[in-house]
Amino acid sequence: MDSIIEFITDYGVFALRVAAALLTVLTVVKCFYSMRIQKRGKKPLISLHNTITDETVPVYYWENSLGRSRGSDIYIADSTVSRDHAVLLRRNEGWFISDTGSKAGVFVNNKRCQGRTQIFLNDVITLGATQFEVKKGESSHQSVSEKDTAPHKKAMRPFVLLLLMLFSLLMFFTQAAFASDGFMPEAFVVYGAFSAVVISVFAFTRGFLKRASFELETLGLLFSGMGVSLLIRQNLRQAYVQLICVVLGVILFLVIIRLLEYPDKLLKMRMYAMGAAVVLLAINLVFGTVRSGAQNWIQIGSITVQPSELVKVIFIFVSAATLDVLQTNRNLTEFIVFSAICIGALFIMSDFGTALIFFATFLIISIIRSGDYKTVILALVAAFFGAMIILCFKPYIAQRFAAWGNVWQNYDDAAYQQARVLTYSASGGLFGVGVGNGFLKYIFASESDLVFGLLCEESGLIVAVTVALSLAALVFYTREITTLSRSSFYSISACCAAGLLIIQASLNVFGATDILPLTGVTLPFISLGGSSMISCWGLLAFIKAADERTYKKLSRKHIVQVAES
Amino acid sequence: MKRTRRRSYSVFIFALLFIIGMFVFIFRWFSDGRSWANMPYNGHYAATGIADGGTITDCYGELLAYSSDGERVYNGREDVRKATLHMVGDTSTNISTSIQSIYRSSISGYNILFGASSFGKLLSNTNMQLTIDSAACATAYNALSGRNGAVVVYNYKTGELLCSVSTPTYDPASPPEISSDDTSYDGVYLDKTLSGLYPPGSTFKIVTLCAALENIPDVEDMTFYCNGSTDIDGHKVTCMDSHGELTLKEAFSHSCNIAFAELSCKLGKETLEKYADSLGITTSYKVNGNPTAKGNFDLDKAIKAEVAWAGIGQYTDEVCPMNMAILSAGVARGGSTIIPHTVKNTSLIDLSAVMSSKSLIKPSTAAKIKDMMRSTVSDYYGDWSFPSLTVCAKTGTAETGNNDEAHGWITGFTLDDDCPLAFACVVENGGLGFYSAGNVVSQTLETIAENMRNGN
Repeated sequence: MDSIIEFITDYGVFALRVAAALLTVLTVVKCFYSMRIQKRGKKPLISLHNTITDETVPVYYWENSLGRSRGSDIYIADSTVSRDHAVLLRRNEGWFISDTGSKAGVFVNNKRCQGRTQIFLNDVITLGATQFEVKKGESSHQSVSEKDTAPHKKAMRPFVLLLLMLFSLLMFFTQAAFASDGFMPEAFVVYGAFSAVVISVFAFTRGFLKRASFELETLGLLFSGMGVSLLIRQNLRQAYVQLICVVLGVILFLVIIRLLEYPDKLLKMRMYAMGAAVVLLAINLVFGTVRSGAQNWIQIGSITVQPSELVKVIFIFVSAATLDVLQTNRNLTEFIVFSAICIGALFIMSDFGTALIFFATFLIISIIRSGDYKTVILALVAAFFGAMIILCFKPYIAQRFAAWGNVWQNYDDAAYQQARVLTYSASGGLFGVGVGNGFLKYIFASESDLVFGLLCEESGLIVAVTVALSLAALVFYTREITTLSRSSFYSISACCAAGLLIIQASLNVFGATDILPLTGVTLPFISLGGSSMISCWGLLAFIKAADERTYKKLSRKHIVQVAES
Repeated sequence: MKRTRRRSYSVFIFALLFIIGMFVFIFRWFSDGRSWANMPYNGHYAATGIADGGTITDCYGELLAYSSDGERVYNGREDVRKATLHMVGDTSTNISTSIQSIYRSSISGYNILFGASSFGKLLSNTNMQLTIDSAACATAYNALSGRNGAVVVYNYKTGELLCSVSTPTYDPASPPEISSDDTSYDGVYLDKTLSGLYPPGSTFKIVTLCAALENIPDVEDMTFYCNGSTDIDGHKVTCMDSHGELTLKEAFSHSCNIAFAELSCKLGKETLEKYADSLGITTSYKVNGNPTAKGNFDLDKAIKAEVAWAGIGQYTDEVCPMNMAILSAGVARGGSTIIPHTVKNTSLIDLSAVMSSKSLIKPSTAAKIKDMMRSTVSDYYGDWSFPSLTVCAKTGTAETGNNDEAHGWITGFTLDDDCPLAFACVVENGGLGFYSAGNVVSQTLETIAENMRNGN
């Protein structure tokens, strides 16, 4: 009789694992599918009629550069026009033109404009010898077929995504409840609490903010929920702490999106943000405590915070700017100095993993902002010498390199953790041994640095790879929406945020699995760590903000009205 | 915005590198996952060990190890248990090269798709059949009668390992507490057939003979004169006997040191080293995934007399018994050898590793060596020592460098079509090779032959 019950539980629990894997894949695929097909088609917002050549130029973006340089959004073949002459921008209040340091100046209805000047339909803009008349988008001679403009397939309804996600998570939490060392009803309590959070976020976003989409939130909550479920059998208290951090993260997510609505105002805050980051790092340097080799923690009462995680969000924020600001101020010096301070401080704390993340993100930011490959090459050379110096002064880093690629020769000393990750990830098979049934959880840092192994072991290869690949897919999605963003501020910050997340994920996943040396960073959304969880949601906010649909969509009629008034 | 879009391709680099890395991981997971899961610390198997694992049987279906009521049970005969310890392994996986260590996860029900989960166990075949003849292993173990050593016999046509015994050994049914200063158990956890290294003594003359046949013109017409010792640059090289005038064939079958010292000096360092390498003395073969010990044949600093000693298997020469058996199989097969395997064809192993042959010697040379090894038994020792088999062999009596008795060696093969066996055996401090190792091998071969011919 006992064996029959055991048999049924074995198969039942196994079915849960298969269901968890399939539902996770389904949810993730549906999220990305939905994001893809809801993309706006390429349709001109307004158009510029060149009165001299009688050509009509469509204007596609929220921010458009005008000039003689080939890379301009609106290319003007006129030798009296500067290479980067002006920027034409759309804001909620209407359309504006901004002179970005041109020689000949910008004239609106024959009046030279200073700074941003609002323009209306039928206004005449003069740049050097070229004259444009502002027209409606429809008046473009280029016919735009209906197929390109409207999403022709129906997107997944946000509510369906929400249900799919909650159902996937139910599979994970049920596994945790029925793990092999006895039934644990608390797992369902945690699930209930988590679902309450998810439903509140959904109701708030859809009901109150009336936001059109919920895909990014679905992904973030799905992964955060998985992370929480992995903690239940390890340390129930930490599962609750992690849950609270998810709430804090989502709050930060909503706040940042709200703050980012008006990037022009926000840009003035850059100096304060940098100042705040430097102060945070300084506090860390003075009062920080050392944990496993790195001094990157501050203890306040019973709460420990990792300031460097929050600095990541600031780092992304200060990296970006609107197009007119970018064109008038090309100088990267301020940003390079700030980056150097951040990376330097992390070095002093011996938090080399995070320093590496900052450095790689710095490279992305430099390229996207300036297209300046010289700076990047210089930075790489500097980094190479920096790395040599570290290896000379911090021999334990060199030891990690020694263990790298030689796991099986050192599986009981230098490569102890990596060997366990590989062994247990293989022990999980495709569907895992079940949440809470793993053995990697007894290894130090299994829930943070080694969490990819834990995910492989307990949830199986399919879930782990799905999570990892969806972080990569996020990068592709983010880049895809960049030109549709309401400002290059969003495009740049979103790309950099996605870049930062994937770099961090690379260091975590490949460090644990011996493809790269182990550096000890967290896996976004999954790893245990309050500061890390909050900062991941903060970074996700930048990607969300880059999606044109995030902010209340203005009807075309409204835009035309504003332009006509 | 266009510019930003173009430059934002730089983020792709990181995303693409990530995806490539992910595929590297997935590839390694599928190809190496089984060996990752097989580590001794794996908690999924450490809790119960292999105590509820599958059965291990020998080639005739004799149970060597199985599980019953959560306990691992071994063969009913103590001598079989002791003889097969290094092949089968014990419950706590002390013998790292044994089947229960290297196939631990498979025996415990590991399945690449389902991992260590209990569902995988239901689907996997956890039973293994080995190629060994456990009765022959027991014969070899008993013939060693308490002496330390190693015995390897395998079928040189199929590559199936039939007998592999390493002593000292212990009973896996009641493993002893071994204190670190107890010398009687020295090397007990090592399978000496794979990891043991011994001076080869005169068995090395096969290598020197091979080099001489291919490098010294008309060597077969040469005659040698032995009066028990010779002088090379003021250093004495001695022989066991005073053989008088000898042909090459006689020199080989009587194992004359003086003749082979002369040949070694003629061949020189480089040629001898080249042949030691090409005949696999210094190679590490993979037998069932376990590497065999690389032998030693290094004449860099040797003076002329030492080159002479090296050519007759002394000086610093060392060789692994498995490599010696593989070399004999090469001679038996006419030049191309086969690497032995120990698991019968089941779904548990990789078929590509099973049939692995490797060319060692030119066929014409191999035929000549075969002829001389045959003459060693037929003309020198006498066929009466192997009643039912036609054996070609070379013995060796390897000085150990101290005052202990020399190690006795024999290696060779049978010519019988129904019993194609290659073998190597060392008896530590056993004295004259033929009387120590030769005796062990003779008894073992007879048991194997009897079982093969009767199909047990």
